[in-house]
Amino acid sequence: METSTMSAREEAKQLKKMKRSETWRRIKKNKMIYLMILPGLLYFLIYKYLPMYGLVISFQDYKPYKGIAGSEWVGLEHFERLFTSSEFWMIFKNTLMLFGLQVFIFFPIPIILSLMLNEVRHSFFKRSVQTLVYIPHFMSWVVIVSISYVMLTLDGGIVNAVLETLGLQPINFLLNDEWFRPMYIIQVIWREAGWGTIIFLAAITAVDPSLYEAARMDGANRFRQMWHITLPAIRSVIIVLLILKIGDVLELGFEHVYLLLNSSNRNVAEIFDTYVYVAGLQQGQFSYSTAVGFFKGIVGLIMVIFANWLAKRFNEEGIY
Amino acid sequence: MSKWKKLLGIMMLMFLLLVAAACSDSSSESGSDSSGDGGSSEGESTDSGSDEPYAFSIMANLHTPEVPADKVLEKIEEATNTDVEIQWVPDNNYEDRLNTAFATNSLPEAVFLKNQTTFVQFRDAIEDEQFWEIGPYLEEFENLSKLKENVLDNTMVNGKLYTLYQGRPLSRQGIIYRKDWADNLGLEAPTTTEEFMEMARAFTEDDPDGNGQDDTFGVTDRSDLVYGAFKTVASWFGTPNYWGEKDGQLQPEFMFDEYVQTMDFFREMHENGYINQDFPVTSKTDQQEFFKNGTAGLYVGSMGDVGSLKDDAIAINPDVEFDVHNYVEGPDGEFGIWAIPGYGNLVMFPKSSVETEEDLKKILGFFDKMMSPEVANYAYWGIEGEHYELVDGAAKVTDDSALFEREVKPFQALEIGEPETNGRYVGYFDYEPKAKSEELFIDNENYLIEDPTVPLYSETYSQDGARLQQIITDATYQYILGQIDKDGFDAAVEDWKSQGGDAIIEEFNSSN
Repeated sequence: METSTMSAREEAKQLKKMKRSETWRRIKKNKMIYLMILPGLLYFLIYKYLPMYGLVISFQDYKPYKGIAGSEWVGLEHFERLFTSSEFWMIFKNTLMLFGLQVFIFFPIPIILSLMLNEVRHSFFKRSVQTLVYIPHFMSWVVIVSISYVMLTLDGGIVNAVLETLGLQPINFLLNDEWFRPMYIIQVIWREAGWGTIIFLAAITAVDPSLYEAARMDGANRFRQMWHITLPAIRSVIIVLLILKIGDVLELGFEHVYLLLNSSNRNVAEIFDTYVYVAGLQQGQFSYSTAVGFFKGIVGLIMVIFANWLAKRFNEEGIY
Repeated sequence: MSKWKKLLGIMMLMFLLLVAAACSDSSSESGSDSSGDGGSSEGESTDSGSDEPYAFSIMANLHTPEVPADKVLEKIEEATNTDVEIQWVPDNNYEDRLNTAFATNSLPEAVFLKNQTTFVQFRDAIEDEQFWEIGPYLEEFENLSKLKENVLDNTMVNGKLYTLYQGRPLSRQGIIYRKDWADNLGLEAPTTTEEFMEMARAFTEDDPDGNGQDDTFGVTDRSDLVYGAFKTVASWFGTPNYWGEKDGQLQPEFMFDEYVQTMDFFREMHENGYINQDFPVTSKTDQQEFFKNGTAGLYVGSMGDVGSLKDDAIAINPDVEFDVHNYVEGPDGEFGIWAIPGYGNLVMFPKSSVETEEDLKKILGFFDKMMSPEVANYAYWGIEGEHYELVDGAAKVTDDSALFEREVKPFQALEIGEPETNGRYVGYFDYEPKAKSEELFIDNENYLIEDPTVPLYSETYSQDGARLQQIITDATYQYILGQIDKDGFDAAVEDWKSQGGDAIIEEFNSSN
């Protein structure tokens, strides 16, 4: 009995060894190829993984002059402070709300836009529209928010001037918490929708034209073709982009939100990024803001794993 | 097609070059940075005997859009035998840079702090002896020893001195208004808050510019409760300066009835359209623009701004007439105006970059010479005949005020002390309201409301004060906009108390 298990274990060991040497052999054989990924690997190690060492300050009472080695350890104190703070749920909710807007309202728009552009026959028209819609992507948020400010202000803004001439009540867009979310998502759509369209259009051009021909032979109209050929063909691209989008869950554009934030809309506009900036950089609470950022990162990671798992359940290829 | 390809190729090449240039640029910059850092040790090795200029760097706030030319700096360096590198940081994000530099241990040899709030934030580090205590050295320096004792007292930490101060008039707050509009409507400068409200109303409703259109309003304000209009108006109502005594105990200003009265005052102005409707999100530039282009007629803030406001306003409408005014009584018949603690900025010397006592003395030596009339004038007025002229022993900026703005103004941030102690020329202004504003600064000193917590210390305030203040700031705006009522404001005050405010009150009172 004993000897047999021993031998079984031995065998397994042997097998493992063989496998390992097999892998080594392959690596050796293709060493040039492996050498080629080295720069990428180093990039991630040096710029992405090594700095994570700094996360330890979220468990310390970090004082810059004492350094990481000399600062006092305080355990989970900063996390406790975060979770018990009255602002935590507000920030958490706001972050998720904006994320929901991004996924459910913003995400489908480039897909719809690219499907529409794909159906345009006139190539000049198609190309010029395509160019026009992605130009806003190159504008900085400062410019976009300033333009909206100038248009929406009550002190001589054009939108309120038009409302007034139409005999309507002026609307306080800037200092009203109800208008923050619509304003946010409209600005995001205006700036980013065209950019996203390019990727989907590229995926669409890769669809085999003979499929459309066959569908037409079977009497499918344009809408049917779109539904049964184009969309399924770009499904995997959509899924991958969706997962990546979810990974960005808490990257809602710090700059953008920070610029829109003011005293009247803080209850809906304060998100993790703005909170970290104010607490960490403006008020110098390094450890606490690192803890907040750390928490945000963990939530993002969980979301990606979840989305990927979901994609696999639907028999799609995930991102890993 | 190939032509296009070629063009594309050229463009790519140019792009690459640009990137390369940008990279080398930044690397050379960081290179000079580090050489500035290393400069201290360099100076040390060469100081034995030779007259090599001592090299070090200063971090200072930049109040103008552009970094100044080196012309004035060269004069200063020549006069002080130093090689100074100034790290200019835009005033708007000075706190960020200060905290980042501190967190990464890369503060230069001399660091300006910006204001009282940042000074309080650094208190912890100061107590931990991260900065040189300079008190004992001051006597060795002829000019530094002249610094005013009472102001130095305000900047002490546990009775020890760590900073040199930059003097500023105790209160420059007041009103700048459209004299021509007031004359059109037969109004005098407001002397009570009621008259102020009446002027704001008349400027809004009575067509002060006489063009038959409803295109003006009264007060122009910005998203700043302190240096905007709010705190100054609050002073008229008799609100304490940040903290005041009530029932024998120190309490924050927003727990006083006068604060609420001020909010009601603003709420009334906002409701009636006497103030720009979006003032809680208006920038200083936009605020001043309303005043310059003849949309608004009342500006509450630093009266000294009248000079620069006039220069720009005249370009739009040559008939504009401004005037300044300070005295406005509250409902209780008294006038008061909040005061700063006698300094505008402070400079500190981190031990991490100033390694030896010898280095410290050299740097203090530099600031000592900065306080001599010759060098102080370079820093404040520039070069005589080029940037200013002497009129009756006072400096008058030449007509090319843009040149002054570009080449001299940023260096005013380096001034140490004030005219009385550093002997620089006072300003000569031929624009009458500007000259009047200087007189009113002095007049204000008869009515000052001081902040009683300046010499006190509260640990909670130092750590959490800024974050807690946000609660009150938000609630104040919301109250003025009519989004919350008195109960809502009281709830915010309760929130402030429970999140650490109670501890702050307790700590200030026990250190009193």
